[in-house]
Amino acid sequence: MRNPWGWAALTGFSLLFFVFIYAPLFVIVGYSFNSNPVNMMIWERFTLDWYTGLFGLTERVMDPNSRAAYIESTDQMIAALKTSLTVAAFTTTIATVLGTATAIALARYRFRLRGFYNGFLMLPMMMPDIVLGIGLLIFFVTLGMQLSMLTIVIGHCTFLTSYVFIIVQARIAGIDPALEEASADLGASEWVTLRKVLLPQLAPGILGGALLAFVISMDDLVITYFISGTGDTTLPVFIFGMIRRGVKPEINAIATLIILASVVIAAAGLWLRSRKTD
Amino acid sequence: MDSLLEIRGARREFVTPEGDRIAALDGVDLDVGAKEFVTLLGPSGCGKTTLLRAISGFEALDGGTIRLGGADLTALPPFRRPLNTVFQSYALFGHMTVARNVGYALEVAGVPKRRREAEVAEALDKVGLSGMGARRPGQLSGGQRQRVALARAIVAKPRLLLLDEPLSALDRNLRQQMQIELKTLQDRLGIAFVFVTHDQEEALTMSDRIVVMRAGRIEQIGAPRDIYRRPRNRFVAEFIGETNLFPVTVDRVEGPTALARTAEGVELLLPAAGRKPGEAITAILRPTDFTLADKGIPGTVRSAVYLGSDLHLFVAPAAGGPEIRVTARDGQAAETGAAVHLAHDPARVHVLEGG
Repeated sequence: MRNPWGWAALTGFSLLFFVFIYAPLFVIVGYSFNSNPVNMMIWERFTLDWYTGLFGLTERVMDPNSRAAYIESTDQMIAALKTSLTVAAFTTTIATVLGTATAIALARYRFRLRGFYNGFLMLPMMMPDIVLGIGLLIFFVTLGMQLSMLTIVIGHCTFLTSYVFIIVQARIAGIDPALEEASADLGASEWVTLRKVLLPQLAPGILGGALLAFVISMDDLVITYFISGTGDTTLPVFIFGMIRRGVKPEINAIATLIILASVVIAAAGLWLRSRKTD
Repeated sequence: MDSLLEIRGARREFVTPEGDRIAALDGVDLDVGAKEFVTLLGPSGCGKTTLLRAISGFEALDGGTIRLGGADLTALPPFRRPLNTVFQSYALFGHMTVARNVGYALEVAGVPKRRREAEVAEALDKVGLSGMGARRPGQLSGGQRQRVALARAIVAKPRLLLLDEPLSALDRNLRQQMQIELKTLQDRLGIAFVFVTHDQEEALTMSDRIVVMRAGRIEQIGAPRDIYRRPRNRFVAEFIGETNLFPVTVDRVEGPTALARTAEGVELLLPAAGRKPGEAITAILRPTDFTLADKGIPGTVRSAVYLGSDLHLFVAPAAGGPEIRVTARDGQAAETGAAVHLAHDPARVHVLEGG
């Protein structure tokens, strides 16, 4: 028999837990529809102005003293979003290939300094972002490289490879090595075995690692702040620049759109996984 | 007999973390005939799995050769060896359907789809899984997975099939059924099976010949009956079935029988051929070789274990010495504490030279 009081306490605790982690998100969503431009904590009335403002639709009719000044320019923001997406796409591809290859090599082959590699791959994840950011900046300057989208991609790859590696490694540890032996026994070369057996078995891990790498790349501020040039600003760096001049209602609208995109991506990921298993 | 598989002087050493060298295979010679069912039997660590993996190519040899149908396999990687394996864990590909699992060897070899489908259907039929091709391995029972692994290994029609303890994960009833099915399948396919097990009952049931291994060496090769009735040494005698070992000294020879005595004074009759008074030998008698009678070795029943069709007795000889294991039929009066006499047929005694 369950203790009803204990059960109620547990339910209450769970509810509080979800309120604690989701309340800040709902607050932002709520504020993004509040028309009060001066104090967003006081509800005035429902508006979509901040959203339309983001897309530059109302720019012409706006009072030059107030709203138009908040968004530096819609074009700039769209450019920052494009930069973020491009960087995330390249970074995800490179980090996923490198991280997966490293995980397979370390799990399936014996070679010198194997343990050393294993430990060293963890390091970029544990390193404080600010240290990594400064280190990368000094490194690029020393090499005489112009800060650009290329340096952002290289910088992101250094630590995102580790994330992909960790996730794929966890997956590979659960795969029976006899599967690859069975494939070889049935006449498949190592390459065919990799393609037909190992990679399909690893697919959920690789997909998970890639998704994580994409999200972290899109989200990174500290490291990117150091290694992005003036021309190639990512979305987080752009938002950070806006916030420095005060939290404006448009930022709530951007945040809400990002939350929406994240929910859509996460839901798509879950849906893909559920389709895989049955 | 023409041998299909010829292993000569196979050696394989492992180095332990402490730096000791251990011979997993210590000079193994073995021939397997083209339609033979050979079982590698021994306790864990005896080298039977290493030998199987050396044949499939997953374990490289430090010395010796392996030939299949006259061709030297020793230096070939596993995927170039024309033989297939049923793995202990079945190793089915979970992301493929049963049909694609079974057809994998053909797919990899580039067999056209239509012919592949026909051969997959044929292989599934042979193992009694017709119509299951569209399922996933995860939807099958343990016994069905076992059959899929078997179908996958025979689809390319190898001349030699290796089986690595394939029945160990099944429950007892299914295991006994599969033992018979495996033997039938092997007869029908007309190919050689090399089967690894640590279960002596399984080995006795299925094999044409049993290879008993210990510490990287072959202790004895022979038909199940030979191994059981005429073990070459104590290890084989004790590993296969239940055994009574009597270290005895031959007392006198009278016509066709000789009388021998243990140090404690238990008297045994055995065939006289080749026996000389005074020599020290070991006499082997299986529990079923004794019968409860009016005459024979006097003793007391220490414990009786009821096993359904028969009764397992542990009898302490009146003269002293280790308890004797006896299988009696159910219904024979033999309760704990009863005084009994154990008779035996001298011809059933197997003799190991030396004490």
